[in-house]
Amino acid sequence: MLQQIFALVIIALFIWRLFEQKNKKKINLNEFYFWLIFWCLGALAIVFIRQIDRLVEFLGFSGSGINFLLYLTVMILFYLVFKLRLSLAKLDSNLTEIARKIALDKVNKLDDENTKENKDQ
Amino acid sequence: MKKICIIPAYNEAEHITEVISRVRPFVDEIVVVDDCSSDDTAQLAQAAGATVLKHPINRGQGAALQTGNDYALLKNADIIIHFDADNQFCAEEIPDLILPITSGRAQVALGSRFLTKKSKLPASKKNIIMPLARLVNRLFFNIKLSDPQSGFRVFSKEAAQKIEIKNDGMAHCSEILHQLFKNKLKIEEVPITVVYHEFGQKFSSGFKIIKDLLIRKIIK
Repeated sequence: MLQQIFALVIIALFIWRLFEQKNKKKINLNEFYFWLIFWCLGALAIVFIRQIDRLVEFLGFSGSGINFLLYLTVMILFYLVFKLRLSLAKLDSNLTEIARKIALDKVNKLDDENTKENKDQ
Repeated sequence: MKKICIIPAYNEAEHITEVISRVRPFVDEIVVVDDCSSDDTAQLAQAAGATVLKHPINRGQGAALQTGNDYALLKNADIIIHFDADNQFCAEEIPDLILPITSGRAQVALGSRFLTKKSKLPASKKNIIMPLARLVNRLFFNIKLSDPQSGFRVFSKEAAQKIEIKNDGMAHCSEILHQLFKNKLKIEEVPITVVYHEFGQKFSSGFKIIKDLLIRKIIK
């Protein structure tokens, strides 16, 4: 029981920080809702940990509900890291496009200047 | 026929002037794509008479080659040559690679270090890295070529228009081959000589290439 209260207090702190960040406009509305739902689900999981224990047992997993939540969290983290890796690769690709455009624009500008100079002469 | 040679370069101040002077007799324009070198590569290339395209940040050899391709196509090149800046290829062999295209036998000519001519390859590269690279190309793309990682290649304009190099790093070699086969372009392998001053890619680079290919397959 004490552990559950402790975990809920920590989640409340995170939610308070989340509202603070939203008020300071450090995060956008979509991010705010994502994390709010995430922490609320976490709080619900802690409140109903006994029921989750029973559900996990019913599903045939050995170990307690808290273990199951831990495994689930690791899986979600893996997925998020994977998504992050993909978005980084896309960002990288956009960066290349910009570098390429700058390189080509510069040389084209130089070409135009040379052509103009030759015409003037 | 307008021939443009693209030389991607990153910190190649030691070799770039000599490479440009050796390539010049065989092409109409030399384009050095300076991939944000920290040495004098760009200035030396410009002084040697090459057109220099400068990436403001380092993006890798694949990215530099695509920048060069874009430029060559903008300038209406009929023949586009990819050549390395490290002075390991023989510029005298450029006409050998152009010939299959001008004669209409092929749309792309790929230099191969494993046909009749003898290149002095380091033993580990010849016996371990290259067979592994061939295996990866067969598994990933069903490509059967004698030299899957050669950077000496020549494209006709039509072929270059169909190729878009998306892998910025060293995985571009496999990607180019894949696109050549996907677009059903006529390919001819031409024997080339490579003189190694340095070992080239490390063994670990091979794993990075595989990782890059996998990521590119997922995000495409």
